[in-house]
Amino acid sequence: MKILVADDSRVMRQIVIRTLRQAGYVGHDVVEAENGRDALEKVHSESPDLVLSDWNMPEMNGIDLLAALRSSGSTVPFGFVTSEGSPDMRARAEAGGALFLIAKPFTPEAFDEALSPVLKG
Amino acid sequence: MSSLELVAPSLTDVEMVAAEVWSSFLGDEEPLLIGPPAELTVGWSAAVSVSGEWQGMISVELSAEMADQVTRRMLCLDDGPLPDEDVADAVGELVNMIGGGVKSLMPGPSALSLPVVAAGRVARPSDVTEVCRFDAQWAGSPLVISVHIQSPKI
Repeated sequence: MKILVADDSRVMRQIVIRTLRQAGYVGHDVVEAENGRDALEKVHSESPDLVLSDWNMPEMNGIDLLAALRSSGSTVPFGFVTSEGSPDMRARAEAGGALFLIAKPFTPEAFDEALSPVLKG
Repeated sequence: MSSLELVAPSLTDVEMVAAEVWSSFLGDEEPLLIGPPAELTVGWSAAVSVSGEWQGMISVELSAEMADQVTRRMLCLDDGPLPDEDVADAVGELVNMIGGGVKSLMPGPSALSLPVVAAGRVARPSDVTEVCRFDAQWAGSPLVISVHIQSPKI
C-alpha cells in the first residue's frame, strides 16, 4: 500500500508518519507532498492507495485538492488530518467525498479507527 | 468594559485546548502547568487569525530554549543542530493546533489563517484587545498563549 501525506508542515508530516507506525500501519510506502498542488501532481504520478491531507495549505488547500481530484476522475480514498474539526468542516469534507476527518491533535487510536476500514477492509 | 462582553474563549477553554495539544505531541512526562505569570524573554512566537462569524487572533510566545525543546520533542530528535526552519515549523504547528481548537469552540462558520511565525514577538494590529491570556510553564520554562479580538469601535 502507498500512502500520500500532504501537509505544508514538515514537522506535522513526520508526526503523521510516526503516528501511522504507532497505529500499526508499518511497511507501507509513504509519499510526502508539501501543499495541495504538489499532492495533486503526486496522486497522478505515484498512484497512492490513500491520501491523508491537511486542510489549510498554501498554493492549494485540502478541500480544493479533493475537488480537483474528483473532477479529474480520481477516486483515491481521501481523508483529512487537520487542526479544525468543526461540524461545518466535517460536513464540507463529507460532501466533497472525504472518508474521514481526523482533528489535530490526534492519537494512534484515532488513526486506526479512521484508517482500518480503508487499509484493513 | 464593553470589550469583555464580546464572545471570547475562557481561560479554561484555552488551557484545555493547549493541554490536549501538549499531551498528544509533547508527551505526558512533563505536563503543561498553569502559570504563574512570568517575565518571558520571547525567543519565538506565532499567531493565527480566525475570520468569519467569530474573529480573533491566537498567539503563542515562548523562549528560544523552549522552542528548541518543543521542536526536538515533536521531531523525536536528540542533540545536534536544529535549523531555524524546523523551529519555525514546529512553533507554527503549535499555534495552528491551538488556534484550530479555539476556533472550534467559538461561533462559526469561520476560517483559520495559515500561521505567521517570528523569531521574536509577532506584531499585532493596534486595534485589538487581549481577551484571554494563559500563562503556563513547561519543563521549567514559561510560555504565554493569548487571544485577541478587534476592539469595539467607540
